Amino acid sequence: MRRPDWASATIEIDRPSTARMYDYFLGGSHNFAVDREAAQAMIAAVPETPLIAQANRAFLRRTVRFLAEAGVRQFLDIGSGIPTVGNVHEIAQAAAPESTVVYVDVDPLAVGHSREILDGNERAVAVQADIRDPDRIIDHPEVRKLIDFGQPVALMIVAVLHFVRDEDRPAEIVARLRSALAPGSYLVLSQACGEGRTSTEWAEAYAIYQRTDHPLHNRGRAEITRLFDGFTLVEPGVVWVPEWRPDSPHAVEEAERSIYIGGVGRLG
Amino acid sequence: MSHERGGQRPGLAVFARAWAKAVTGTSYLPVTPAQLEGFLEGLTVRLVEALYAEPFSLRRGYQIGADLVAAHIASAEGLGRTIEVIELRLLRDLGLSPTAPSADPGSGDDLRDRMARLLGSVAIGYARALRDRTLDEQESIRRAAMVAREQAEQALRESESRFRHQATHDPLTDLPNRALFTERLAAAFDRDGGSSRRLGVCFVDLDGFKMVNDTLGHHAGDLLLTSVAAKLRRGVGEHLVARLGGDEFVILVEDTTCTDDVLKVADAALAAINEPTVVDGQELRVSASIGIVERPVAGTTPSEVMRAADITLHWAKTSGKGRWALFDPERNERELTRYALSSAMPAALERGEFCLDYQPLVSLADGRLLGVEALVRWRHPQLGVLRPDKFIGLAEETGLIVRLGGWVLAEACRQARRWVDLSPKAPFVSVNLAVRQVRGQGLVKEVTGLLREHGLPPDRLQLEITESAMMNNADESVDSLRSLADLGVRIAIDDFGTGYSNLSYLRTLPVCELKVAGSFVEGLRAPAAEPASITDERILATLVSLAHTLKLTVTAENVETATQADRLRAIGCDAAQGWHFGAPMPPSHVDALL
Ligand SMILES: C[S@@+](CC[C@H](N)C(=O)[O-])C[C@H]1O[C@@H](n2cnc3c(N)ncnc32)[C@H](O)[C@@H]1O
Repeated sequence: MRRPDWASATIEIDRPSTARMYDYFLGGSHNFAVDREAAQAMIAAVPETPLIAQANRAFLRRTVRFLAEAGVRQFLDIGSGIPTVGNVHEIAQAAAPESTVVYVDVDPLAVGHSREILDGNERAVAVQADIRDPDRIIDHPEVRKLIDFGQPVALMIVAVLHFVRDEDRPAEIVARLRSALAPGSYLVLSQACGEGRTSTEWAEAYAIYQRTDHPLHNRGRAEITRLFDGFTLVEPGVVWVPEWRPDSPHAVEEAERSIYIGGVGRLG
Repeated sequence: MSHERGGQRPGLAVFARAWAKAVTGTSYLPVTPAQLEGFLEGLTVRLVEALYAEPFSLRRGYQIGADLVAAHIASAEGLGRTIEVIELRLLRDLGLSPTAPSADPGSGDDLRDRMARLLGSVAIGYARALRDRTLDEQESIRRAAMVAREQAEQALRESESRFRHQATHDPLTDLPNRALFTERLAAAFDRDGGSSRRLGVCFVDLDGFKMVNDTLGHHAGDLLLTSVAAKLRRGVGEHLVARLGGDEFVILVEDTTCTDDVLKVADAALAAINEPTVVDGQELRVSASIGIVERPVAGTTPSEVMRAADITLHWAKTSGKGRWALFDPERNERELTRYALSSAMPAALERGEFCLDYQPLVSLADGRLLGVEALVRWRHPQLGVLRPDKFIGLAEETGLIVRLGGWVLAEACRQARRWVDLSPKAPFVSVNLAVRQVRGQGLVKEVTGLLREHGLPPDRLQLEITESAMMNNADESVDSLRSLADLGVRIAIDDFGTGYSNLSYLRTLPVCELKVAGSFVEGLRAPAAEPASITDERILATLVSLAHTLKLTVTAENVETATQADRLRAIGCDAAQGWHFGAPMPPSHVDALL
């Protein structure tokens, strides 16, 4: 059932936001005391958290560059977060200025900030929507304005699905989005995987995220791989994010501790 | 010494790589390791230049610090590691030993001194830039929060108003619904503006809408309603038009100055509705009925107004549809009383609130008391004694007439028997029978039962039947009357002359008396010379002689004056009844006449 639009539109800055915590991990200052407090608790539990976030962000950057080189000119980035540094439109439009980018996030503040950054950029917009309502995203007039679903699209769902509960059927969400894509489209996806960390670490992480706007749910590698059903994985497949086409060999050291696994799949 | 270009120094790349390694991970750097190294090589060249520049300038160091932040090497750790790596490795990696002899004006001490000042200026530039960046980001996220909050509030307001619209409007026609109408009507009452304020309500109902629904389907019905709604809205201007449900609409006319203001609105509404509507390619014409109430706000309530409008709509419907009716308080009062009476009657009958008075029927020839007519009275606890014209019609409508008539018949028989016991000259008792009683199956059984029960001689009972009861009567009724007549019960035709006055049945029916309607007798009150009076007298004379031919006696009703009595006697009328001979009276008064 579709929630009424206004139900999600309440702004809570008294509660830590995963989008702003992520910004903090990346070194940004687009965050408030509540966010920093939760982020620091997370760093206390898993000291490498900032490095892990950076590794995920670097994965995103490498995939966008890869897709731009592969000729993709439309990017639909769902769960895009707060535009900190190295945003999809910067990378994509640097490679090909005609590239269009639609950022989608459920966090109204992240969307508001994205709009500010994108002001004057006619080829990029930010839309507030929930990934759990994929139809609304696909049919959204602002999405339709910039994205022609008859042409290849890079669908980016990076570091988002661990905020979607099993009851909300993440696989069906991805499948529904996939059904809107033309052949030659790509799925870029990463999400937190349960491997490589102790159960104590996870327990602390769960507890911290329980207080945020989006509680955490990790998944197993096999389950994450199944999210690519219908797509053909490009090399090297679903891997720890530092291992995905690294810029330098050093970057993959201790990759198995980097929590996020992800990959890129091609449609058709 | 003239400096070589930094890029040409062999240690440059080594140093830049070490620097890159040191800052990697201190914050997210949106570049590849190679790009980072390239960038830091450039900065290294500028560092060396700054170190040797003449005159030494802090500005170069500031700028390098700021450029690091601009390249997103922007964290406390980033600064600390940068200072550490420069201090530890810059001179060494680039072969710029401060102790080595050189042609430079600066001695080793001087170079160390410069290095310290350079690092200080880099740190200052870096810290300033980082602080500005932090402040900018904080400002922008707060601005985003504010905008987002405003948008959320706006969205909330919009959705609330959308929600409110949905809650107060009819989804089919988008007209205000009952809830909104009720609210507006109540507001019209609450608004101050003096007690002299008036308002009007038109309660509109389509005529024959059900037919449209049944024959053309609900879809067509909905289209018709939508079209009527639009026409009404256009037709009545600024007044509130609401749909109450089904094919009921209501118009609120506020601040009327007189009834005419609402009548104009009602006329406009009827005209608007009468315009043909094209539904599914068919031209449909519908009419509507409207109940109108217009009155001062003071002294009434919204629900009273609506009830009145509802009643008035019913009047408009029953008086032929396609029209409006205006609320009439007197008519309403009458109807309410009627309603109250008719619903109270069964219990009243149980409680014994009915009683009989008797009016003498007197022989015109010798003034003898021939009979008495039993007249039913209702001793209503609040309204006092009610005469039959107030409730017999109601009893006929509700069907209670059968029970009430039965009670009257029984009571009259009981009383007749009493008189028989009192006097050999006991009068017969004449009882009016309602049409339903005459038609009922059990009349003969009922009457014979009563006669037997009271041991009443049959000729002491007369049954009065109206002409109309006889006219359209089935044979069974005639049969039962005949059996009663055969027993010796007297049968009289009441109110003769007011109905169809068919003479043929008088021949065949077991009737023994005609009671001539009071209206003929009325004419005899006027001076005998008046033409109308003469006509009435002639009619009466004819009637009497006709009746006598058929061997029927004639009783004149409503005889009020001695003149009337004299003239009736002169034309040979047998008996008379009326105030001149005695008003209806309780049975004890009749005793005195015996
Ligand atoms: C960790 S950030 C990821 C940002 C970016 N995709 C990246 O990987 O660099 C997760 C983002 O997902 C968003 N998010 C969480 N649940 C979501 C949902 N149900 N629909 C859309 N966005 C969601 C959060 O608001 C947050 O901005």
